[in-house]
Amino acid sequence: MNATLATILAILGLTLVKATPLIYAALGGVLSERSGVVNIGLEGILIAGAFTAVVVSGATGSPLLGALAGIVAGMLLAAILAFAATRLGVDQIVAGTGVNIAALAAAAFGLVLVYHQPGASHEVPAFGRSGETVLIVLAFVAAAALHFVLWRTPWGLRVRACGEDPSAAEAAGIDALRTRFWAVVIGGAIASLGGVYLSLAELDLYSDGMTAGRGFIALAAVIFGRWTPLGATGAALFFGFFAALQYSLQRAGVPTELMQALPYLAALVALAGFAGRVRAPASDGVPYVRP
Amino acid sequence: MSAALRTRAVRDLAVVIVLVFGVGSIAMLLAHVSPLVGFSALFDGAFGTRSELAETLVQTTNLLFPALGIAVAFRAGLFNIGAEGQLILGGFAAGWLGAQLPLPGYLAVPMVLLAGTLAGGAWGAIPGFLRARFGANEVIATLMLNVVAFLLATYLVNGPLQQGGGGASETAALPKAAQLPNLIPDSQLTWAFVLALVLAVALRWVLARTVFGYELRAAGDAPEAAKRAGIDLGRTAFVAMAISGAFAGLGGATIVAGGLHRFNTGLSQGIGFIAIAVALVGNLHPLWIVVAAFAFGVLQSGAIAMQVDAGVPKDVVSLVIGLVIIALAGRRIVASRRST
Repeated sequence: MNATLATILAILGLTLVKATPLIYAALGGVLSERSGVVNIGLEGILIAGAFTAVVVSGATGSPLLGALAGIVAGMLLAAILAFAATRLGVDQIVAGTGVNIAALAAAAFGLVLVYHQPGASHEVPAFGRSGETVLIVLAFVAAAALHFVLWRTPWGLRVRACGEDPSAAEAAGIDALRTRFWAVVIGGAIASLGGVYLSLAELDLYSDGMTAGRGFIALAAVIFGRWTPLGATGAALFFGFFAALQYSLQRAGVPTELMQALPYLAALVALAGFAGRVRAPASDGVPYVRP
Repeated sequence: MSAALRTRAVRDLAVVIVLVFGVGSIAMLLAHVSPLVGFSALFDGAFGTRSELAETLVQTTNLLFPALGIAVAFRAGLFNIGAEGQLILGGFAAGWLGAQLPLPGYLAVPMVLLAGTLAGGAWGAIPGFLRARFGANEVIATLMLNVVAFLLATYLVNGPLQQGGGGASETAALPKAAQLPNLIPDSQLTWAFVLALVLAVALRWVLARTVFGYELRAAGDAPEAAKRAGIDLGRTAFVAMAISGAFAGLGGATIVAGGLHRFNTGLSQGIGFIAIAVALVGNLHPLWIVVAAFAFGVLQSGAIAMQVDAGVPKDVVSLVIGLVIIALAGRRIVASRRST
């Protein structure tokens, strides 16, 4: 009996570990998409956060400074995407794909420049157990905070207005382009914490490909969570739970690949409307150009 | 080609050249390598010998198939980000079937290529169907299906369809009869290169001169007007996505039947994403895409030489490609893609 309880607790603990980076990335995605910008670049933002945090933590000896630098890097990358999406009116999806490719390559190149070796960085000062707990708790705090901001503050109302109908929002005196820009940038800050968590809390280094498509799972979580902070958090926990279960189920004969495909299949089902009514913000992904 | 398109194509080319040489030089200087040394290593690696030139054309071919497919979807107003997955499944179908077909060459090669085309087409048709039937956003769907395709191929090749029992994530080798014949002896350049060029010309003709091509472009350029003119947007979306996937799947099959002679899960290495840049630089115009594919083929093929001979990490090339995509996403590709 105690052994069973221990197993259950271990799986629940692992669920939190696996879900936390997804929660951060998904929250960033929710904020961005609520303002009308689809952020395909979440994966790149995770990479930027994870890589920069490691480099700065290694250079200064302070994981906290590393985390701050990781957030700044995520915001900068998001700002590039946001600038392109709002001021240049570019196609956000194509640009986001470029962001992902560029971020992955820049980090790989950076590893060679900073550590003179491809593949992985050295080990750097990391947060350890207590810091990891703080980051896990903070993810849930961030989810609640974002829910409050989006539905209970004037800025949140403005963000949602821009995501539904930017022309109407502008007619009501809201600067839609500016609102979208900051929603994406702040979303980038939140998402980059997922990268920081991966490289400085779960591990203590950066290695190529360590984000392993979590940015895309987060996009799936945004959809499965119906574009709400709490829904996306729930979806991230659901996906994290299956990631945690993976090893046990593998022993039971369920193929690993099927478990890994689950988030994507769930998102497809949600997208096709099989799981009840799912509606994206009406102007999600549509560039707004002032008349 | 209209004068406006030509102006735009020239401007885009200028952006690409500035990014390649500007960002490339900065990156090389950061790596303490003179840009002169770095770029000569790159171009030497792409053109230096006959076999290196052949490799450049192989890379061109590999990019050309999915890029043509992406152009079909984009022209129809659909953002197919799923070429990577379509290419992988096409390669898998070709490799799996090819390894066990006891057919003579004149049948085996077409069957292998057809298998890849159908598998890629089917995988492209799924988001096309979801879009036409349920209005599901094809961008997210193709993005998700990329990962599912990779996982599916990995599962099949390791599990139920494991061949040879070696435990490696690959199919058994293709018999000689199922391999594409070489174009230049002692190289990996096969007739796939010629096939890709023919298809580019054919696609140019279909888009510009046929009713189907007209409907496709109308659906992309002005969906509302197209709908009023009686064009079935749902059907167009479905067919365009299936064709788009078929091109990528055929590309995967030619990689398997051409150079690798078996399927393995590391087949693509992001070709399906780089092809997005190729299609954009080529202004979604099949013949310009050939030029763009060659330019990116040079970068891809020279990257290794640049790393080995000049000590510049080959990731610089991917970095430049990513920036090219961001820069060129700025063009207004499709008028509207929301009103189905």
